[in-house]
Amino acid sequence: MPTIDALDAPSQLEGILAHRPELLAKYRTFYQSFWNDGLVPRRTLELCRRRIAYIHDCAAELAVTDADVSLTEAEELALAHAQFDAFAPPEQAALVLAEFMPFSVHQISDSMVSAVAEVLGESGCVSLLTALSFFDVNCRMKLALDIEPQAAALTPTHLV
Amino acid sequence: MSTQPRLPSAIPDQPQNFATVTAHAPDLMQRFFDLYAHFWNDDVVGAEIKEMTRLRNARITDCGY
Repeated sequence: MPTIDALDAPSQLEGILAHRPELLAKYRTFYQSFWNDGLVPRRTLELCRRRIAYIHDCAAELAVTDADVSLTEAEELALAHAQFDAFAPPEQAALVLAEFMPFSVHQISDSMVSAVAEVLGESGCVSLLTALSFFDVNCRMKLALDIEPQAAALTPTHLV
Repeated sequence: MSTQPRLPSAIPDQPQNFATVTAHAPDLMQRFFDLYAHFWNDDVVGAEIKEMTRLRNARITDCGY
């Protein structure tokens, strides 16, 4: 699908969504929210985003990195293999939810959600669950649109 | 699967439902509803197609809501 180079669209996905400029603007405004609202630590969001990308085997999503969160090689490997004990307990709780979101959402239990609410509060829990849903959406869109991996270190002000 | 929402209502004296639970993050949800409303109000894709695909997606994901 052809992309639009104008409209400040630094990624291929945004270039495609720019066919509908108002949609792109609203999606960006929404997507920025959970990165900027401070309810969930950025590092936690980035870990979950990357784990969901590994589950989908979405190279285009994995090619994007958060410019302000750097993971070690060991952490990246742990994410790739769902080895959550490599991370802090609050991050583990979030990663457990991320693991189930794409294909096993019916297996999410009350205790999994409670564990996240305990560390992030109810506001953070709502923000995280919303973020996980849209990390899943982004991967599905990139795969459905057959978007090529495009290495980029982006800030959350961009829709990746 | 839980038979009731897993988080309490953010609005005192209101029952737990999608709106009252997500009200724990009001700014986020306002932006989500703005986006969602755009999908439905934008007439590039007809309302019938959107409704059919919405229902089919709900069936596939077994989402009673």
